[in-house]
Amino acid sequence: MSSRPSSTVEQSPANLAESAPQLEPARKYPGALIVVEGIDGSGKSTQLYLLKRWLEIGGYRLHFTEWNSSPLVKSATRRGKQRRLLTPTTFSLLHAADFADRCERQILPLLHSGYLVLADRYIYTAFARDVARNCSPRWLRNLYRFAPVPDITFYFRAPLDVAVKRIMSGRPKLKYYEAGMDLNLSLDRAESFRIFQGRILAQYDEMIESDKFVVMDGTMAVNTLQKQMRQMVKARIDLARFAPKKSAKRAAL
Amino acid sequence: MTAKASRKNGSSKNGRKELSHGATPRNYGLPLPGVNDQEFGGSLIVIEGMDGSGRSTQISLLTEWLESEGFAVETMGLRRSGLVAKDIDALLAENTITRMTLTLMYATDFYDQLEHRIIPALRSDFVVLADRYFYTLIARAVARGIERDYLNGLYEMAVRPDLTFWLNVHPEVAFEREFRKSHAISYWESGRDLSLSDDLFQSFILYQAKIKKEFEGLSERHGFIAMDGEASVVSVNNELRKRIAAHLGIQHTHYRPSAALAPLWR
Repeated sequence: MSSRPSSTVEQSPANLAESAPQLEPARKYPGALIVVEGIDGSGKSTQLYLLKRWLEIGGYRLHFTEWNSSPLVKSATRRGKQRRLLTPTTFSLLHAADFADRCERQILPLLHSGYLVLADRYIYTAFARDVARNCSPRWLRNLYRFAPVPDITFYFRAPLDVAVKRIMSGRPKLKYYEAGMDLNLSLDRAESFRIFQGRILAQYDEMIESDKFVVMDGTMAVNTLQKQMRQMVKARIDLARFAPKKSAKRAAL
Repeated sequence: MTAKASRKNGSSKNGRKELSHGATPRNYGLPLPGVNDQEFGGSLIVIEGMDGSGRSTQISLLTEWLESEGFAVETMGLRRSGLVAKDIDALLAENTITRMTLTLMYATDFYDQLEHRIIPALRSDFVVLADRYFYTLIARAVARGIERDYLNGLYEMAVRPDLTFWLNVHPEVAFEREFRKSHAISYWESGRDLSLSDDLFQSFILYQAKIKKEFEGLSERHGFIAMDGEASVVSVNNELRKRIAAHLGIQHTHYRPSAALAPLWR
């Protein structure tokens, strides 16, 4: 019995058996999963974009996925946010449903078919943010048990002041939930955002060891960080597996 | 096993086991964030059973009876939340949805009702009648291959009912009743997504048998009061009222349905 259902009904028995066991370290798929995490303004998306460009130019088979991008539950999330119907629990569940959809229809099938999957934010975003909203860590860990464990999780760590300044200079208006206004931290939206991000930062720090984060110093120069990132990817992942398959091409011809 | 629990502390004695972690008599291990279940003055009464087991008929009758006895009543059911009920309808209409997503959308629907409807009602001394509860959601998900432990964890913050009745019927009887009522059997209620059989009737029977088997385990774990859903509406209702009256401390349980509900009384 599996902790998550296998992704499609049509899988061959061998594939079903492979997808059945719990996610834990023993990953039985040929793909690899690279994740970036960190608070808003930590520079993670820029870095993942550059990593993606590097891999794309190299011709590697890859897929890029973002947190909160599934069209399936988008309308529910939007409605809940607009009308402020969401509690910490339903906020968390809707995002989990959204992630499950992406996981079962994109991430898992791609990992099984040997893709390099790059994720801008992953389940740790939910852990950090939802615990900051007072959800139980135990409940959350169970909720996301069906998620495959990343091969590398880069955690971009920037001091709160630096990150908040980056966001506030670039963005005109903070949204209600984004600023953590539902938590009654402060009546001032900018101040609420600051306190909320501080809580999230503390939660990320808590996970560094338990979830084997690779900590990146978000205050360093962009190209220096990118160099470190590429080195780490080369060291930890056998990129040759994702290179264009010459033999396969020849066979097709 | 009369559940003659005091209304204020909400504890019941029927077969409740293993209170773990932060469990209180009111939850299954964890409280909801920001909710103090010690404040609950009301009662939560659940009626479970497959479609065609007579749940909604009994809930209509019980609502009228309780209101005539002076109790304020709130109801809940599956897919009735303001937040995602419509989205679930839309997702069910397509067949691209995966089992995990559906499970979590139903969980969202459940907790939305719990937090916005049930808990405020329980705080205000209402009797909440639930037309199905998360038990059905667990049974359906298990039938689709999702692990029980995962589901128990998912619903760990649910409010523990005061009484849960399980209207037990044979799938064949349920099929007949449903077919008579709506002249059709739904894709999901017959578990067509599981590819159990190409024949609709066979699929329904096989699927409901799976659900029923899961309910037997749930019944043991959660202390359901199993009732014969094939008995007449009147005799099932008499039995339900007897149990509920004992729980709520209602002295005499005489009840005659109003003209509006009289057609159900047979």
